[in-house]
Order: sequence, then C-alpha cells, then structure tokens
Amino acid sequence: MTAVFTMAPVIDVAQARRGAGPVQREAVFDIQGLTVSYGRLTAVSDVGLEIYRNLITAVIGPSGCGKSTFIRCLNRMNDLVPGARVEGQILYHGGDLYASGIDPVEVRRRIGMVFQKANPFPKSIYDNVAWGPRVLGMKKDLDERVERALRDAALWEEVKDRLKKNALSLSGGQQQRLCIARAIAVEPEVLLLDEPASALDPIATSAIEELMHELKRDYTLVIVTHNMQQAARVADLTAFFSLEVDGARRSGVLVEYDATEKIFTNPTDKRTEDYVTGRFG
Amino acid sequence: MRTSFQEELDVLESTLQEEGALVLRALRGALNALEQRDHELADEVIAFDDDVDRRYLEIEDRIPSLLARQTPVATDLRLVLAILHVNLHLERMADYCVTIAKLSKLVPEIDPPVRLIEGFEEMGSRCEEMIRVALDSFRDRNLDGAESLVDLDELVDRANRRAVQHVLELGADPDMREYGLRMVVISRALERIGDHAVDIGEQTAYLLTAEFREFTDASHPTPREA
Repeated sequence: MTAVFTMAPVIDVAQARRGAGPVQREAVFDIQGLTVSYGRLTAVSDVGLEIYRNLITAVIGPSGCGKSTFIRCLNRMNDLVPGARVEGQILYHGGDLYASGIDPVEVRRRIGMVFQKANPFPKSIYDNVAWGPRVLGMKKDLDERVERALRDAALWEEVKDRLKKNALSLSGGQQQRLCIARAIAVEPEVLLLDEPASALDPIATSAIEELMHELKRDYTLVIVTHNMQQAARVADLTAFFSLEVDGARRSGVLVEYDATEKIFTNPTDKRTEDYVTGRFG
Repeated sequence: MRTSFQEELDVLESTLQEEGALVLRALRGALNALEQRDHELADEVIAFDDDVDRRYLEIEDRIPSLLARQTPVATDLRLVLAILHVNLHLERMADYCVTIAKLSKLVPEIDPPVRLIEGFEEMGSRCEEMIRVALDSFRDRNLDGAESLVDLDELVDRANRRAVQHVLELGADPDMREYGLRMVVISRALERIGDHAVDIGEQTAYLLTAEFREFTDASHPTPREA
C-alpha cells in the first residue's frame, strides 16, 4: 500500500509555534498582518500564520477567498501583477521578503512554484529541466542535475530514453511532474503548488500526491487545493480561508489554521465546519 | 447544501431511534414474561428480536455505502461513527432481552422469592429509564443527560449486587440452586444492559466533544475522571 493511506501526523500547531515539545518545527515563513489589494479591491485581509519546514501546508477555501493570492505573495509573484499592493510582513527565515534590496528572481529560485495548468516550454524534456540551472549559471554537471530533478519528480523512469523528445508529447500528469522537476532543478527550499492536480485524472493525481509525500523530506510544500479530500490526504497542516462580505466590501480572511486531522474531525470555527462538511452557500 | 446527504443522515438516526424503541419493548416484554411466568410472551420476545436485527442490519448496510459515497468529515463523520457504535450497543441490549426471555422459560416450578422478583422489576425499570435517557441524550445532543447515565448505572449495579446476595440466601435445595443460577444470569443481563446504555452516553459525548473517553474505567474505578 502507498503512503497516501497513512493519515497525516498530528502536529500540534500551538506547540509548533512555540518551537517546543517533542516536535521541533522551524518556521520557514512567518506572516503577519498580510493584506493584499488589487487597485481598490482587497483580495486578502490581515492574514497571519507560520509555515513550517518539511511539512505540507494546504490552503483551502471557496473560490475568491484569496488562496492563490496568498501563496503568490510567498514568492513575490504578485510583483508581476500591475496594481497589486502587499501590506504587512512576510518574514522568510526571519528576513523581510519584501525589503528593498531583495532580488525577486533569487526569491523565486528559492521558492519555486507549480501551477494548475502544466506549462512546459515547447522544448525538449531535457531542456525544460535544464533551463533554470542554465539561466542561473548552475552549469556544472548539468546532466546529473537534470537526472536528479527528474528522479525526484518521479518521472525519470518514464522519460529517460526520450529526453530529447518535445515536452508537449508527454501526458498531462507527466507534464505536471515535469514542471515539478523544472521547479526543483534549481534546488529551491520551498515549493508552492497552486491546484497542481485539478486538471489531472485520479491516477495522475495520486502520482502527484505520492510525490508530495516524497518531496517533503527535502522541501517545504504549500499547496492550494479545491479538493478537500486531497488536503486531508496530503497535508500536515491546513489553513482555511473564507470570503468575508461586509456590505460592498469583500475580502479573503484566514479563518482557521491547524493540524489537518483537527480541521477534518473537529474544527474550531463554525465557518470551517460548514465548509468542510459541505454546508456552505 | 448537501441535501441528499443530510437526508441519509436523518434516515440513519431515525432508524436508530426506532431500533431503540424496539429494544425498550423487548425489555418490557422480557420483564413481564419473567414476572408473570408467561412463556408465550417469552416466545414473542424471542421472535421479536428479528425486528431489532432488521434495523441493526439496515444501519450496518447503509454506513459503508454512505462513507464511500459522501466521505463525511467533522461533525458528520463523528455522527456516522457514533451511530455505528450505538447501533451495536442496542443490538446487544436486545440480545440480553432474549436471554432473559429464554431463561424465564427454564425456571423450575417453585414459588419465586418476592424480594428477588421485585428487585428485578426495579432493576428493569431503571434500565428502561437508562435506555430512554441514552436515546434522548443522543437525539438532543445533550451532554449532561449522557453523563447522568453513570449515576443511573450505579443504581443498577447496586441492585445487581443485592440480587446476587438474595440468590446466595436461597439455600442448598437443588431446585433452588438451579433457579438461583438462572436468576444470577438474568441479573447480570440487566446489569449489562445498563452498561450498554452508558456506552451510548459515551458516544453522545464523543459526538459533542470530539474526544472519546470512558465515563468510568472498570480497572481504575474512580467515577467520572475528566
């Protein structure tokens, strides 16, 4: 049987925050009072949480609650959106991610991202993975680096004999794993996954989830997912975002953040309970 | 809203309550059969167990299907798990009623000691009350009600100890000894029915608090450890 069937370990979030007790957890991100606006629209409001090393953190919530906006702040992808304004503080290993002098390109090397729709370059499988290292000047032992990334992404065995073939000839699930290989080829510390399996069939989804379990040994993962069962299956911690409507103002808020097991057996907030049990709307 | 899912949960709960009402009827029938030495009634109680079993099996059948299709979480998950357990407790209670009915037919022709029969009537009434409290607390999500079962059970346990004492006092006559042995088993059956009612209370508490704890620990008998 696969590791998919083992429940996520119980992590005491309060304990993890104190950094004490049997489970020593190191916060990779410490986010405080995060508010993100696009022009006059507030996408997320006053979000505060910590993301811990070598754990999988899932972000769940209804459409429009700011999940994607939130994780895009973690590697400064929102810098690329005109009119986007980020307030509050995101500390990455204690340093302000948005301080002047921080190079967003270096940020995105350390904090990689995989998107909903697999987006390989129309180049060979090899070149897709080698692209990042080449750009960053990591040219030494490139073949080994590509192989390692493909192995880590659980794709090597399927593509090792056709590395020169066009990446677009791969299946959807393989393309998504290729994108994960491309992201990890530059040795990031964190992987952000925005709905990585929502366009995949159950077998490819299961492969991605299995891969996430493997990857968390070396990486810190944050996954946005609409699929609550997926969050329940893969995540150690789960953050539930909701859409707060106040008159004409609508913005995403963090409602509850806790061990996944707690969120799915006994959530504290009624809004979380209503969402996970399907009693919303 | 997941209307059909909620309807399925409602059906499960109402079937469970029906099963509980049948257990109450079976218990009353068994007590009357014992008291009135009514073998015909005892046979009816024995046959009546099929009605309880039908509900029991219906719930047992529905739950795996519900879990597979609806993947309940949070309160819904706890409710389904609690129903699964309560269902089993009710079915066991009904089996004890059958035991009492069967034994009531096997007693030798002797004049039953009044104190013993009155004791069973008292015990039986307390068990009936416990079953009602257990079912109502579950239905009403009433934690206090569920926890009150511990005190009610203590009264049943005491009555059980008294019954055993009465049996010991019956003397050495072989007929009496045989009678006494059967009465001890009946007393024990009633005592177990009380225990199952407490177990249902524990399921209610689990449903409400998400934490499973035994109200009393048989091996460390300090009542109501938090």
